[in-house]
Amino acid sequence: MESIQLTRRQFLKTSVAGGAFVLSVNLPSVLANGAKQSSSWCVYVTINPNNTVTMSSPVMDMGQHMKTTGPMIIADELDLDWHLIEFTTDCPAYMKRDEDGNVTHAHADMGTGGSHAVRRNWDYMRRAGAIGKRMLVEEAAERWQVTPDSLTAKESVITHNATGRTFTYGQLAAKAGLRKIDESKVKLKERNDYHIMGKSAHTVDLKEMVTGKPLFGLDADYKNALQVVIHRAPALGASVANYDKDAALAIPGVVRVVEVARRTNDNNDKVQEVAGGIAVVATNLWAAMQGKAALNTKWKPNAEFENQSSEQQFEHFHDLVHNQSPTRVLEEDGNVEAALQQAAINLNETYETPLFAHACMEPFNCIADIRDGEATVVVGHQFPNAVAREVERLTGIDALKVEVISKRMGGGFGRRYINDFVTEAVLLSQQLKHPVKVTWTREDEIERDFFAPAYVMRIQAGTDEDGKLRAWHHTQAQTNWGAKAACFPKNLVENYKCDLFEDLSHIPIGPWRGPGHLQWAFASESMIDELAIILGKDPLQYRLDMLKPHKEFDYNGWGAEKIHSGRMAKCFEKAAQMAGWGRKMPEGHGLGIAGHFTFGSYSAFVVEVSVKNNAELRIEKAWGTIDCGFAINPNHIKNQMEGGFIDGLNAALFNKVNVEKGQAMNNNFHTLRWMKMAESPVEIESHIMQNDYAPMGVGEPPTAPAAAALTNAIFAACGKRVRRLPVADEFTI
Amino acid sequence: MSTTFTLNDKKVTATQQQADMPLLWFLREELSLKGTKYGCGIGQCGACTVHYNGQAMRSCSITVSQAQGANIKTIEGLALGDDKLHPVQEAWMEVDVPQCGYCQSGQIMAASAMLNNIPNPTDEEINQHMTNICRCGTYVRIRKAIHIAADNLAKEVV
Repeated sequence: MESIQLTRRQFLKTSVAGGAFVLSVNLPSVLANGAKQSSSWCVYVTINPNNTVTMSSPVMDMGQHMKTTGPMIIADELDLDWHLIEFTTDCPAYMKRDEDGNVTHAHADMGTGGSHAVRRNWDYMRRAGAIGKRMLVEEAAERWQVTPDSLTAKESVITHNATGRTFTYGQLAAKAGLRKIDESKVKLKERNDYHIMGKSAHTVDLKEMVTGKPLFGLDADYKNALQVVIHRAPALGASVANYDKDAALAIPGVVRVVEVARRTNDNNDKVQEVAGGIAVVATNLWAAMQGKAALNTKWKPNAEFENQSSEQQFEHFHDLVHNQSPTRVLEEDGNVEAALQQAAINLNETYETPLFAHACMEPFNCIADIRDGEATVVVGHQFPNAVAREVERLTGIDALKVEVISKRMGGGFGRRYINDFVTEAVLLSQQLKHPVKVTWTREDEIERDFFAPAYVMRIQAGTDEDGKLRAWHHTQAQTNWGAKAACFPKNLVENYKCDLFEDLSHIPIGPWRGPGHLQWAFASESMIDELAIILGKDPLQYRLDMLKPHKEFDYNGWGAEKIHSGRMAKCFEKAAQMAGWGRKMPEGHGLGIAGHFTFGSYSAFVVEVSVKNNAELRIEKAWGTIDCGFAINPNHIKNQMEGGFIDGLNAALFNKVNVEKGQAMNNNFHTLRWMKMAESPVEIESHIMQNDYAPMGVGEPPTAPAAAALTNAIFAACGKRVRRLPVADEFTI
Repeated sequence: MSTTFTLNDKKVTATQQQADMPLLWFLREELSLKGTKYGCGIGQCGACTVHYNGQAMRSCSITVSQAQGANIKTIEGLALGDDKLHPVQEAWMEVDVPQCGYCQSGQIMAASAMLNNIPNPTDEEINQHMTNICRCGTYVRIRKAIHIAADNLAKEVV
């Protein structure tokens, strides 16, 4: 058998020689109405004549590992040898117009958010790989004059089964790339034929990360770009009173000082304030920062926003949920008012979560080069097609003539979905007729955040004598935007109502890792524990009983069509088993359990805490399960479980932004405390449920259960019930 | 008066005008060494950690002139050769620590400095000395990687 086995070292030396032949794949793109149409060539995979491969990521990466997962899916169906692949650092943005003329992704849906990347690209990426393999197989079959069925494709080699003759993919790629194939002959693999998926692969650009390569937008250079730092109005709606332009211009390197208008942002389904300010433009970044300091800008507060204070808003929300009628009913089953009246046991509690900051580790930045009729933008944004659309909206340049160079994102969490940091760079480049790079400070990043809304959630629950839940009324007041409503215990209780108060604040709000889910789960999983405890029932068993019979229901919320009580129950059971639920705990230690369904995946966690002197808290350990359907890369799913859960713990412990008169007051890490190694559990054991379901997301599901798991554990450890986050207000840690 | 210091084993000179620039921006903007990251600018997050005479130092919090005569190492200079990474970097790769990756240069520099001083740290010592923020929450893996690096470094010495 002839086949070329190349070590990684060899292919690094030889890939420069010889022309690379792109394996272009003619992929059908699926239209909104389900019909298929041919699309143009799609370049994610380049197969070189020496059989080495270069792959690009079809999906943006913000630490949720899609840069590895996407290629795994394609490479498996294509039957590539994973070890022969070299990965490019950037993420190519192919765009097209859909039938309504909107700019969308031409091939893979490269946007990331809502834990949807795998779910939305699962069929597409498998098919891309399978079509590529079919082209190679048909090419080999033609050369040997045999039938395609007599060939096996495996690890970048095609073998003729009867004779053992082989071709490498590299030998076939050039001609294979030109073939038109019969797509009805393309078959996707069965799961037990996967040779890459289902196994733990490491991050493809891991070496670049540990050696400090310039992977992020903030690291990017652009020829001739001027460096810009903007002194932004710290309070909502404030305007410039006066500033010392000359002092800024006197700084060596500062070349321009221009005013940036206050405006609104509306890519978030809601028109929201974006601060104006003064842009200092310089030949180098440090000069721009010094120029900003020299401005000594004085601001004029805006009376319209003077009442935008988070503490006052909490008081208002409490008043609303206790004394006023909600403005909108989101879900209603049965007759909750009557059922509450008739219930043998009633419990009525109110839970509170504050504004969460995103605090993306890499402060925002954007390079914009707006030219005549075309443009280049270099940025890490969760939705590159939205970047192109924004350029078109602002400048009139055809979005398809906008080159979006996408960078790895130093954290997204939903904040890098907002366009504001792109808009300002585009407008400045247009105004200055020059490429610019705008860099944000940490203070900008927090002050100008689109926070997770603060919530006050009142739950009135009613049960029978024996504890069976008969009524659940969930009333919420939150800063703005939306709230969850269709999560469990909906469908588990006959009489269910979820309502809310709307449009209560002008504090800018945006999506935050599983929007509304951690907050919902904090309230509902706390209440379920509180019910279990007054009923004298074990919190785990109470949940398992509530989830019976195991059934699939329709799900009305965003991001999933169905919700299954059995899959949720299995997650609780397994997490509890892993934690040794029910064992005798040492003095001052307690276990707490919580679980939640987010965007198609189920996750449950048990946390062990210890509390000393009723006030000193330590998080000892956590055990978590996830049911995300097929696990494409168990290693990365576990990393997301650990990191997502810690994000939720941080939200519960520390993440609270105080807004006073429209200004975020705790605007850096000395006043906004953030979880570190010392507060983190030493170990988080995680388990991925095995089943036949299609793969679902993992970026958000592990976060939602964290707050309630923590506060339930605190109660078990010391008998104190925390209904108001952050926990660090009541405990030291 | 210009400033001279050793950076990744090479001599570097900064001008008088650059004296008050935070070392972080000198590294990133003047020398294009982008591995050292900006996270907060006030010494709270550790993303900008370099080695200053072998100790972990947050480069946003010292000026270029304060680097006079010092031996500075950045992430770009940590590897032991073209093909040989530092044991901490190797351990990071074995455990596959990063998620977004932005904080990891600083974490690696902080960990390698700590291991120079404390070759076999307990979990409590790791808590005390590893105070860098990881927004993605990779602390469990960082801890694991530190223990592996400590073990590997001990084997090398022996």
